[in-house]
Amino acid sequence: MMTDQTLISGAPRVKLKWYQVIDPITKLLLILDMTLLSFASTNLLLQAGLILVATLLLLFSKLSSTTFKALGFSLFLIGTMLIIQGLFYSRNQTVLFSVLGVSFYKEGLIYATTLGCRVLVIILTSGFFMVTTSISENAAYLELSGLSYKTVYVLMSVCYILPEMMRNMRKIQQAQKVRGTNPQKTLIQKLKSVLPVLIPLVIKTLDQSMARSISLQLRGFDNPNRTVRTSQRVYRLSRTLHIGLTGLAILLIGWKIWSKINGL
Amino acid sequence: MKTEPIHRTSMWKFKLSAATMTLIPAAVGINYVAKALAEGLKLPVWLGSLGTFLASMLAGPVAGAISGFINNVIYGLTLSPISTVYAITSIGIGIAVGILHANGWFSSARRVFISAIIIAIVSAVISTPLNVIFWGGQTGIAWGDSLFAVMVANHAPVWLASFTDEFVLDILDKVCVAYLAFFIYRQLPQRMVHFFRDDK
Repeated sequence: MMTDQTLISGAPRVKLKWYQVIDPITKLLLILDMTLLSFASTNLLLQAGLILVATLLLLFSKLSSTTFKALGFSLFLIGTMLIIQGLFYSRNQTVLFSVLGVSFYKEGLIYATTLGCRVLVIILTSGFFMVTTSISENAAYLELSGLSYKTVYVLMSVCYILPEMMRNMRKIQQAQKVRGTNPQKTLIQKLKSVLPVLIPLVIKTLDQSMARSISLQLRGFDNPNRTVRTSQRVYRLSRTLHIGLTGLAILLIGWKIWSKINGL
Repeated sequence: MKTEPIHRTSMWKFKLSAATMTLIPAAVGINYVAKALAEGLKLPVWLGSLGTFLASMLAGPVAGAISGFINNVIYGLTLSPISTVYAITSIGIGIAVGILHANGWFSSARRVFISAIIIAIVSAVISTPLNVIFWGGQTGIAWGDSLFAVMVANHAPVWLASFTDEFVLDILDKVCVAYLAFFIYRQLPQRMVHFFRDDK
């Protein structure tokens, strides 16, 4: 955030980090291009290269627990994928190794590794976007790039409503426990305990939505003469990067379609 | 009966009014919280489409589809990037619920069951190609995936195994969510139902 002083002087006093001068659309296009590159080939070396690039991007920006959480879940799934495809992939022919009499096949393992690498490329590149852009930055930038302010409001208000809803849920759960709702041990008891929490929660949420909607109308949100908030961020090379990355995406999609047609 | 169908011609009418603008984030929030609740109680279902169901029932298929889409985009950009691609499934669910509700298929407990099956089919049909592209056909849920492994081991085609894996999980989830949405919708105050419907 800029201080009042920097606003007066017009020049940012704090030196921006390299990832702060890249605009959100460029980062999103980067996710698209990296994904397309990863899907363009089954070459494991290329996949490893892409993972390395994405990891470096993350290492030189910020590391956050959200990326690790996303990685944790996917790594587990990739693990099960390696086992299932290694054992049962339809094109399995060459036995690579055997554990306790169970044979793992080369073809299935390579197939699962390729898929796993693609997932990792997407998660790591998205992780870069997640940790380097804030909600307010996205909102301001999306509006500046021409998205209607109503759509931006819908997108961004979710991020502000969620913590409020989680608080409401905990409050309702506690209240139901105090009133002595069932002990939630068996599956049926658990399912039964969902309704007394969800009904008040949904009604409360929709009630708050109604109140919010009325206050939006009263504040003249539909007013056509609304002033657009100007962004305080300075982005570098946005146009060039957008054109370059979009061009690459079109090329990759075109090449994929071309090779599919020729392959048939 | 509170769940009288919306007039057919008004089903696809959509305007991003102040009411829908606040309903969509609320629906996304409900999806998120219901999913967290199911995970917290270790239920074998996701419940993550409850908000999409309610938005479709209250404001029509377009509002439901937008809620589903935004839900997966936000979820993808904050927690699990791959779930962004399943936004297409959520759009399908939103549209299916909206059409079924507008045609009176959420008016009685028996009809809700049939609706749930149709929605589960829609969801599984859209999700299967995505599962095959990204996860080799798996869904990431242990018992569904064990079914997948057994089928693939017995030389069943990957598409069929993946569809079965997805469908058995979807049918359980969508039946639970459809009944939850049905009961909750009936509990909603009339002023609320009319507020989100009439404002279009």
